[in-house]
Amino acid sequence: MRLTRRGRTVREALTGYLFILPATILIGVFGLFPIGYSFYMSMYRWRVAKGRFIGLEHYLDSFGSWTAGAAFFGGLALILLAHQLWTSASEPNSDPSKIRFFKLASSFVLLAAGTSVALGWRVLMRDGDDRFWSGLIITLFYAFGTIPLQIILALLIALLLHQKLRGRSLFRIIFFLPYITPLVASAVVFSVIFSRRETSLANSAMTALGLPMQTWLAESSPITKLWGLNLPGLWAGPSLALVSIILFGVWTYVGWNIVVFLAGLADIPKDLYEAAQIDGAGPVANFWHITVPLLSPVTFYLVLLGFIGTFQAFSQLFVMRTPFAQDSVDTASLIIFDSFYRSNNFSLAAAQSIILFLLILGFTLFQQRVLGRKVFYG
Amino acid sequence: MADLPKRTSGDFAPAFNQADDTTEVHAPPKETTAVPFRASQLPTYIILTVCGLIGMLPFAWMLSSSLMTLGETINKQWLPSTPQFGNYAEAWQEAEFARYFLNSVIITAVTLTGLLVSSTLAAYAFARIKFPGRNLIFTILLASLMIPETVTFIPNFLLVRGDIIPWGSWFNRLPALTVPFMGSAFSIFLLRQFFARLPQELWDAAQIDGAGHLTFLLRVVIPMSRPVLLTVTLFAFITSWNAFLWPLLVTTDNTWRPLMVGLYNFRNEAGTQTHLLMAASVISIVPVLILYFFTQKQFTEGLATSGLKG
Repeated sequence: MRLTRRGRTVREALTGYLFILPATILIGVFGLFPIGYSFYMSMYRWRVAKGRFIGLEHYLDSFGSWTAGAAFFGGLALILLAHQLWTSASEPNSDPSKIRFFKLASSFVLLAAGTSVALGWRVLMRDGDDRFWSGLIITLFYAFGTIPLQIILALLIALLLHQKLRGRSLFRIIFFLPYITPLVASAVVFSVIFSRRETSLANSAMTALGLPMQTWLAESSPITKLWGLNLPGLWAGPSLALVSIILFGVWTYVGWNIVVFLAGLADIPKDLYEAAQIDGAGPVANFWHITVPLLSPVTFYLVLLGFIGTFQAFSQLFVMRTPFAQDSVDTASLIIFDSFYRSNNFSLAAAQSIILFLLILGFTLFQQRVLGRKVFYG
Repeated sequence: MADLPKRTSGDFAPAFNQADDTTEVHAPPKETTAVPFRASQLPTYIILTVCGLIGMLPFAWMLSSSLMTLGETINKQWLPSTPQFGNYAEAWQEAEFARYFLNSVIITAVTLTGLLVSSTLAAYAFARIKFPGRNLIFTILLASLMIPETVTFIPNFLLVRGDIIPWGSWFNRLPALTVPFMGSAFSIFLLRQFFARLPQELWDAAQIDGAGHLTFLLRVVIPMSRPVLLTVTLFAFITSWNAFLWPLLVTTDNTWRPLMVGLYNFRNEAGTQTHLLMAASVISIVPVLILYFFTQKQFTEGLATSGLKG
């Protein structure tokens, strides 16, 4: 049987659709459909079963007032605009007066943005769902505590490992082991290591170092207070309980960062270093002028994935939280889970998850536009 | 080059397989035997060893505590006086681990099978079959990677309960734990990248022999793609074995409760019985570690290169 040219194309296309059908249905139903349905759910009263339509009430309750929400999120958007203006000022062949104008405009926009964010934030915390918003700050603490630490540590270890060494692959296996360990299991182990008992591993280590014992995961007061500082509210920083979980996060993810850095280092052409050596550059100059710029795409990738990962983190926080820590380790994910599971308020949880999703989305786009531009792709 | 036979997958174009392993090409020479020890590198060794020891400390502590008596875990002690291997049997019994373990194995096996079939088919179509809307559909599927589990679990809970589509409740049944994880945009992405780079000549030759897409996929593409299939399998294995939030929601009895939820419950029940809890942790970690030691080379390379290249 000979098919016509057209018949063959149609058959080819049908085969294609048939092949992608199972995966498309599965991802469509369990991966994409939920985002639309979450938004739909968030507009109803929905405690276990669907109730009456309430529109955007949950969002309004979260913000306290529409003005506050608009001021806060509008302010965040204005920061992007300010950045846009600043970069258009630094375009190569524009005349000096234009540059001055753009830079001035950018500064004013930034000032307005900052004021708007700050004022909006105050109202959000006062009239809105303050537990959710402090949860977001705790999420930020967790992200900013984990990511820089693990990236710097990973870069240092990767640089050391990127040479001819005995037992190089053994070191690589060792550093990678925590990442491979099931998260719930290692979190259970760490919840015992960082327990408030005098005999816990963390306290044994403190005693060995001649430092005072701590209550670790059971400590709800902020670390600055333990240092003797008295700062108000969220300015006081993360609690010791959260810091313990941050240390756990660094321990878990540093190995993966090392492996990715090693792959990046292996891709830097050797002759660049040789050429630099001829020009008389030392190891420090090599590091700042060759290694750092050529690794920037890798670093950017790790920062981006780090943010997505820490914003979604759930298991380790859920396993390691203790009643003593109060809500000092409750990141946005945990609060959403609590709204759903403990309070059975399905639609509130859905609304909160939509807000979190939009923030992650905005943050990712922001990083790609602002930081991504500074990355050197060679 | 002792491990060359392992990497040459199938009989087809070994040169191609090598070209794919870009990290291997640039990596420093293999440290099989003769990496000389240089005194100038002593600080490097010291720093790496110290960091490695700190990293291993939790494991050592877990292992040591799992072999102690209850009294020894309460008193400050680093090593058990006599190893209590009975702790493992006791933890295995008390935590009902036999059941959870088997559950996890079945859940993982079923999820992996579904995931590999659906992802391979889709990745092949996205890479090598022309049909209208191909790129658009692929992009939309990739967008699902941006959506966190915290957003998807609420509607999925209702879906699986049978609220949205009237297929009855899946709670405490195998499909609830497997079907939602069978579609994976990430796996499709990895596989598609690999499939797209296979030489066109192979398909032309297969067509002359009268082979269709399915035959070509099964006979030629899959045997050639063993490395990337292994990477995808390992990723999926780890994800499935580690799943926690979702199984916690959809298992209310222990018919299909997986190991991780079992361990979490045991943590809450065991209270101060640290030795049993640590034995239970060791039991739940060991399968993954065994798998890792057998595949660590391909796994770390697969992890490092995925998403970075291309």
